Amino acid sequence: MPVWQRVYEEINDPNFVLICAAQDTGGEAVAGPIFDAASPTYVQVVDEDHVISSAFNFVNVPSAAWIDETGRIVRIDEGTYAAIHEIGAGDQKIVFGNDVYAQALKDWVAKGARSRFAQSTATVSGNIRKHSFDQRKADAAFRLANLFRAHGWQGKAEQYWEMARSLNPDSINFIRQNLTLTEEGSAGETFRKVVMDYANQGKDYYRPLDLEEA
Amino acid sequence: MAETMMAYPELRHPYEETPIHPPGSTTVLHQGRAVTLAETGDGDGLLIRPDDLPRVNGFELKPEGACRAGLCIPMNDDLLISGDDGGWFDLAAFADLTGQPYVADRFAGVWSFGEVPATREHMMADAMAPDFAVTDRQGNRVATADLKGKKALIVTWSSW
Repeated sequence: MPVWQRVYEEINDPNFVLICAAQDTGGEAVAGPIFDAASPTYVQVVDEDHVISSAFNFVNVPSAAWIDETGRIVRIDEGTYAAIHEIGAGDQKIVFGNDVYAQALKDWVAKGARSRFAQSTATVSGNIRKHSFDQRKADAAFRLANLFRAHGWQGKAEQYWEMARSLNPDSINFIRQNLTLTEEGSAGETFRKVVMDYANQGKDYYRPLDLEEA
Repeated sequence: MAETMMAYPELRHPYEETPIHPPGSTTVLHQGRAVTLAETGDGDGLLIRPDDLPRVNGFELKPEGACRAGLCIPMNDDLLISGDDGGWFDLAAFADLTGQPYVADRFAGVWSFGEVPATREHMMADAMAPDFAVTDRQGNRVATADLKGKKALIVTWSSW
């Protein structure tokens, strides 16, 4: 989150809004300290029910949409990193992210429709995921589970989390969020198997980042 | 960063089981909001008072149908149940009519609704930002309409 604060300050445009939405069912207790550590001045949302992901048909984090002054989406659903990150060390080291996305964002904020990074309506429409009825029903099931969790109704929370996962097995968000609230955590064996299965099926959980395309 | 992938088993279920709403009430979830209705009608569907419709899902009844933000969905005879007490609106039948998914736990009296597909047609066809509304950490409502006239980047992230 500090990297997005830095990008926001560098853009420094009163007509630019940055909304960062934490898809954390654990709520403020989990996401709040991470936000606070960044001393953010952008809009911070703790989105326990994944309302933003549901609205834009995202299946993983970090994902994003660029929205212009008329309300039109001009980029969507790419792995949204503001820097290159490294975690772990030695053989366990994982490197992810990039240092080009934020530069493209700055170009668009400065130039608007003249930016080569603003995509056409046809391109954006093609990149928006088309969710089935069952996938949309999964969102309703997930929120129902979260309500039960918030009230300590364990059996029903588990029941509807499982329903959500079954209805939308492509949602990395559902799988990882659920794992986060277990002993195993969100990056354990179960998650690694999910990622492997995803790759084997030729699926993507971000659209390919193509910053050459106008 | 590794710390952000740690598990939070203590948050999986709060220690204490608490009531969701007062006895006899019904809770409706839609777009991240939870609305508790003190009064619902008997029947297979979800019968709510027509006056409750706007706060449940933003639609309101007009002569041309159920309307929200310039979209009006014509109604059929299954939706409105007349009566001397003001009548009922069948929210489940409305969902079936519009292709809106929902999941109901009748034992607990909780209904969770997904999006009405017609409200998202502009996104799918014309890449227009969908309607959403969330509350920020300062308690302010943030909605699509608030972004008009500005450029916006909306980023999802998580501790995991």
